[in-house]
Amino acid sequence: MNTGLNRTKWEPYVWLLPSLLLIAIFVVFPILIVFKLSFSEISKAGVIGGFIGFDNYVEAVHLPAFKTVMLNTMWWVLSVVILSTVLGFIIALVLNQKFRGRKIARSILVFPWATSLVIQASVWNYIIKAEYGNLNNVLLNLGIIQQAVNWRSSYQIEFVWECWVGIFVTVPFVTFCVLSGLQSIDGSLYEAATMDGAGFWNKLRHITLPMVRPSLTVSTVLNIIYVFNSFPIVYTMTKGAPAHKTDTMITYLYMLSFYERRKGPATALSVIGFLILCVCAGIYMVSVMRKEEEL
Amino acid sequence: MRYPEVRRQNRRMLLLLILGLILTLVLMSLPLYSFDVGVYTKKSGNTFVGDEKYQAVRAEVEAVAEEYRSQGFDVEIREDVLERVNSKGNTTSLVTFTISERYSRSFLSFLGKKLPSSTVLVFMVSLMGAALVFSIAGLAGTDDLVPRYLNRKGRLLRNLAVTALLLALLLVPVFMLMNNVIFSRRLSLYNADLITEGKEAFFSMLDHFFFDGRMGENVGDVLGGLKIQRSPMAWLLLLTLFISLTAAICIRYGEIKSSLLRGALYVFVVIVCVVTLYPYYVMTITAFRSNAETLDMYFLHMAPTRWVWSNLTDIVQRGVPRYLMNSIFVAGGATALAMLCGIPAAYAMARMNFVGKKAFLGFVIMSQMFSPVVLLIGISQLMNTLHLNNTLWGLMLINAAFNQAFAIWLLRGTFVSISSEMEQAAMIDGCGTVGALTKVLIPMAAPGIVTALIFVFINAWNEYTIATVLISTAQNRPITVGITQFSSFNMIEWQYMFAASLLATIPVVILFMSIEKHLTAGLTSGGVKG
Repeated sequence: MNTGLNRTKWEPYVWLLPSLLLIAIFVVFPILIVFKLSFSEISKAGVIGGFIGFDNYVEAVHLPAFKTVMLNTMWWVLSVVILSTVLGFIIALVLNQKFRGRKIARSILVFPWATSLVIQASVWNYIIKAEYGNLNNVLLNLGIIQQAVNWRSSYQIEFVWECWVGIFVTVPFVTFCVLSGLQSIDGSLYEAATMDGAGFWNKLRHITLPMVRPSLTVSTVLNIIYVFNSFPIVYTMTKGAPAHKTDTMITYLYMLSFYERRKGPATALSVIGFLILCVCAGIYMVSVMRKEEEL
Repeated sequence: MRYPEVRRQNRRMLLLLILGLILTLVLMSLPLYSFDVGVYTKKSGNTFVGDEKYQAVRAEVEAVAEEYRSQGFDVEIREDVLERVNSKGNTTSLVTFTISERYSRSFLSFLGKKLPSSTVLVFMVSLMGAALVFSIAGLAGTDDLVPRYLNRKGRLLRNLAVTALLLALLLVPVFMLMNNVIFSRRLSLYNADLITEGKEAFFSMLDHFFFDGRMGENVGDVLGGLKIQRSPMAWLLLLTLFISLTAAICIRYGEIKSSLLRGALYVFVVIVCVVTLYPYYVMTITAFRSNAETLDMYFLHMAPTRWVWSNLTDIVQRGVPRYLMNSIFVAGGATALAMLCGIPAAYAMARMNFVGKKAFLGFVIMSQMFSPVVLLIGISQLMNTLHLNNTLWGLMLINAAFNQAFAIWLLRGTFVSISSEMEQAAMIDGCGTVGALTKVLIPMAAPGIVTALIFVFINAWNEYTIATVLISTAQNRPITVGITQFSSFNMIEWQYMFAASLLATIPVVILFMSIEKHLTAGLTSGGVKG
């Protein structure tokens, strides 16, 4: 858009400069550092040596926990993203109906989104404590169970709990994305479909889904990225114990670099994670750009 | 207008309602509860099964059982053997003989007893009766009218019938859960002397229920080994009452489908809200409990027995105000910086044409993809070089940078939606570009700016990962890192942790609620999450 006033050629760049600098120094520069480090020899004390090619990558891939951690990451991302998308979509469909108390329900659903992940994870950590956790207390008091249940009897179950907390905090985001998509649908479309005798499923398939697909795509891709990057839940609830069996890639690389002081393979893992994210980001950008063009 | 076919349907539905109620009563009179009550216990130490001592005790117990049988009790003998090794290394066993009596009880037998669940049952049965009366009264004289043409009285009565049945239906699980609590949880807590308050009253209640008050003081011993079992058939009550309920709804509205869908919708919403609020309930009650109560595995109450407000003053001593101030400083500074850099950039993106605009947009979106976590090592290295490690300034800069993308994206959207005519007029009047932005555009775009502002603030406030890596001294911790100090390897002070969490959560949740509406609009276009 041209405002019709004469501007010097470089003026727009002056306006962009502060923002550009901020991003360049604190986002782009660390990326470059991580890349450089991943090809350098790093001592335990953190002294950076010379170029050693792909040694760090080879070391990272041969770490004993590498396979478990990658599988965990996959399960973590897939289960949290898929389940929270399905749940969030259903909740959005319900909240889009008119009923008494809808505003209150929407405000309540904001809670998990606005709360710090580390606080959420701590609370759930307390809830499922076997000895004195609140879940046992409430269920016993309601008479639903007769005896205290050990809610975290094995690390697999603890991992499932971590996924549950992940889902719990991700659902509101999906819900609000889908809701904003749903609100843009013209009500007359449904009326016309009803006139033509379309049932609930037909309307869902042929009107609702196509209309909210853009919001759903954005929320899904973003969730993949954010869930992949999520650190506080796993770190607070199990710290990856026992022996990295509940670690995801992000918590593992944190442990590797800041506890075990093996910065070399840790940076290599960072780069691998970064590249995985790049693929997701690419998909995301294509979908956003396409949406921009549609508007 | 009167419709004979409406009358026919209403009569059918009334019959269905009555049938449902009759089935409910039949189920309630079946012996669905069974209790095993130990009426007599004899322990025999240092015994082996089959030896002389065992035989003697066994005969003694048989005699007692015979006595009970002659009084008309239905008793049986159970023996439990507990083997143990004494200090000399010999294996001995402790044999416990229990004479237990099996009681079968129907739901209706709870009526007229003094148990708390009896009251619930009385309510349930009266509600069922009331529903029947209301339905019949609501149909009288109007049973051939389409529901739409009902008079006020008919509508009210039919509504009451539906409500009464709905309440009766809800009381079924309440009644069953209450019995579980009374006969197993409370009884075992009293028997183990974990609670003593109201013990006598409780036992006299049970005495009255099982033995019509004959047992007196002994009832505590007798009920020591009480076992309660409920037949799964009891859940059929829900079904029979539901049949009556649907009939009542049909009488009220003429059809059932939309009412059931509506009901299902409310049930779903309530479940979602309860699950969502559950952790916040836990956080709140735990924040005001004493340390002993937070770690008590037999803790009985759903709320603190005593609200320990001193938890709040304790965390003040433990540095929480300092952490809160740090968080305010970091989040506030990051927000200010993100806005100072973001507004001009968004303005240029919205109002100017230049080479590389698309590239910059792509650059911004890309930067939003990377949570700082994957770059942790790079960031800590960079901060070392800049001597910003372990400073609040460093944390502030990182937060500002990683929130740039959203700020620009949302602000640009707001600016584009505002027509540029006013600014042009201002510029013709002699304002520069800067004047036009600050005096005209920013006031007009205030809602969008506030939304972006609050969102960036909340993101920075809730940030945890970078802070754990960058901040190494206690006095520089933001609140998210600060709360974790209450959990050390061997002791977790949950009450302090959650009191601090509560302080950290309440303000941001309120802020978030205030922008939720604006945020949803900018979301799918801006595509950002906290």
